[in-house]
Amino acid sequence: MMPFWALIADSFREALDRKIFWVMLCISILVAAAMFCVSFEGTADGSIEELNVFFGAYRVRLSEAAPGTVIPRETIIGGVVYLVMDHVLGGIGILLALIATGSFFPSFLERGAIDLALSKSLSRPLLFLAKYLGSMAFVLVQATVFVGLTFLVVGFRWGMWMPGYLLVIPLMVLLFSYLYCVSAWVAVRTRSTLAAVLVSLGAWVVFVGLQGLGDVFELMPQWKENRTLYTVARVAGWVVPKTQDITYFAGRWSGAPAPADVMPKTRVPTPADRELIDKAGEVDRQRFEQRALPSIGSSLLFEAVVVAAAMWTFSRRDY
Amino acid sequence: MVAITEMTNWAVDLIDVRKTYDRKVQALRGVNIQVGRGEIFGLLGPNGAGKSTLVKIMMTVVRPDHAFGTILGRPLGNRRKLQRIGYLPEGHRFPGYLTGMQLLHYYGALVKVPRTRREANAESLLERVGMTRWADARIDKYSKGMLQRLGIAQALLNDPELVVLDEPTDGLDPLARRETRELLLELKHRGTTVFLNSHLLSELEMVCDRVAILIDGLVARQGTLSELTEHTVEYRIAFSGSVTALQAQLQALGVSIEGGHLSLPGGDMERVNRVIDLLRERGITIESVQPHRFSLEDVLVETLGAQGRAASPGP
Repeated sequence: MMPFWALIADSFREALDRKIFWVMLCISILVAAAMFCVSFEGTADGSIEELNVFFGAYRVRLSEAAPGTVIPRETIIGGVVYLVMDHVLGGIGILLALIATGSFFPSFLERGAIDLALSKSLSRPLLFLAKYLGSMAFVLVQATVFVGLTFLVVGFRWGMWMPGYLLVIPLMVLLFSYLYCVSAWVAVRTRSTLAAVLVSLGAWVVFVGLQGLGDVFELMPQWKENRTLYTVARVAGWVVPKTQDITYFAGRWSGAPAPADVMPKTRVPTPADRELIDKAGEVDRQRFEQRALPSIGSSLLFEAVVVAAAMWTFSRRDY
Repeated sequence: MVAITEMTNWAVDLIDVRKTYDRKVQALRGVNIQVGRGEIFGLLGPNGAGKSTLVKIMMTVVRPDHAFGTILGRPLGNRRKLQRIGYLPEGHRFPGYLTGMQLLHYYGALVKVPRTRREANAESLLERVGMTRWADARIDKYSKGMLQRLGIAQALLNDPELVVLDEPTDGLDPLARRETRELLLELKHRGTTVFLNSHLLSELEMVCDRVAILIDGLVARQGTLSELTEHTVEYRIAFSGSVTALQAQLQALGVSIEGGHLSLPGGDMERVNRVIDLLRERGITIESVQPHRFSLEDVLVETLGAQGRAASPGP
């Protein structure tokens, strides 16, 4: 196992060498600092009454912003944590990580570098696997720092300890791995950083799009009449990694409310629109409450197939 | 069977190695090469001869279409035996984010050298290649010569039985080249087999016991340096005076006149004496008679000529 760990440690060193790694750490610290500047003032019954920004410099009374609304403390704090986790870590964080790690395989495969690695005693599939897992170290460190800092802020500053929130760390690594397998496969085939980054980002858009398409079918019953299209959409949605589901699981296991529960009840022009919004909320809730195993299992199956294809190419190619 | 192959005297025994790239370019067309244990073996040939492909096949970087043979007594491609081989590829690229010491630890770990041995070997090798001062500096600050020194140290970290060096003196200054030659001879005295691929023929000549000339994917000649050069001895007779009157007789004896000396190809001493007698009869002063053995470069050029190829020795 010594060569295997040496490769993983090397990938970690490579990650530390990237400027983007430190930029992302700074973003994590800034987000945690921004959260630290916010506090919630509540009533005796546990609901939030006032929002303080910059240690009281700005105050927002929720009873004035939305009269008659009583928001439980857990709901608002959980909602904020969910939003930050979803957008900053699950969005910007994963995007930057894909860009940063996109060059890991191409630089590993450069002529002169790969010669030495291949001439050692580790088999090619294991060599690939070690490099692949080593690249995950980048996201593991970033997610640990981000979640660790925000977990402490939410606990100490906002007075709410959310141990389930720590599960976001492995979930974000999992989300990254769904996309990184595509990046690695493209890199092994083309040895191009640009191609690896662009195709993996494109794949992310496609994965999200296919999942969204499935939801659209649920909202538009008339579309279901085209059985072929509906079946293709459902199968495609099942085959590709469910990237969106990861943030739902992360929110649910953290103890955050379902997004539909914290959406403001805005006025809508017609009862039909109201019905559509309610239905969308229901679809969203179903996704939030769905079982994790089928979603993660089918996504991992996709990842395993892509990794196997990349490993096969890596093992058969001359360098 | 394993015990028998382990006992073979050949450190490298390659039989009928073939490789075609993209079903078009025939890089190797049935190469047979034998390298004895403990010897320094040189591989030479013009550009595109297939030398790098052969080295890469030995190191499992390139997959042959067809190959038999053994390396250190194990079938070609045996991964366990790779732990006993040191390798310096041509144009190597080391990760710039590592220091010299970290790099040695990294590659040492890849061939399962225990940490304590890695530490001891890394320190002594860095000292041996004159890189101790730079051990903790990042590699992206190294010059080409420093990278090459570090590469050589890397290839020796696992105390290999066989060292495969592809252009080891590339980028080194004359002093460092001499040190490298001394290091190679030191390795040989320790019983290590060295497989050298270099375009610097004079350097190969200085250290190699045996060489193979690869041309168009085939071994054109192979043997010890004396075997390759023994039939290419000529005698050179330096004289003062005019030999114009003797021109016809000298040419009949196969002698060529080049400025102030005569050249007699081959080692036929009787013919040399007849030429000397001829010159003395005419009162011509003989200044010196010297046997001249052909260099490796001469052998390569001659072999290329025999194959109808233009000479362009290279990596």
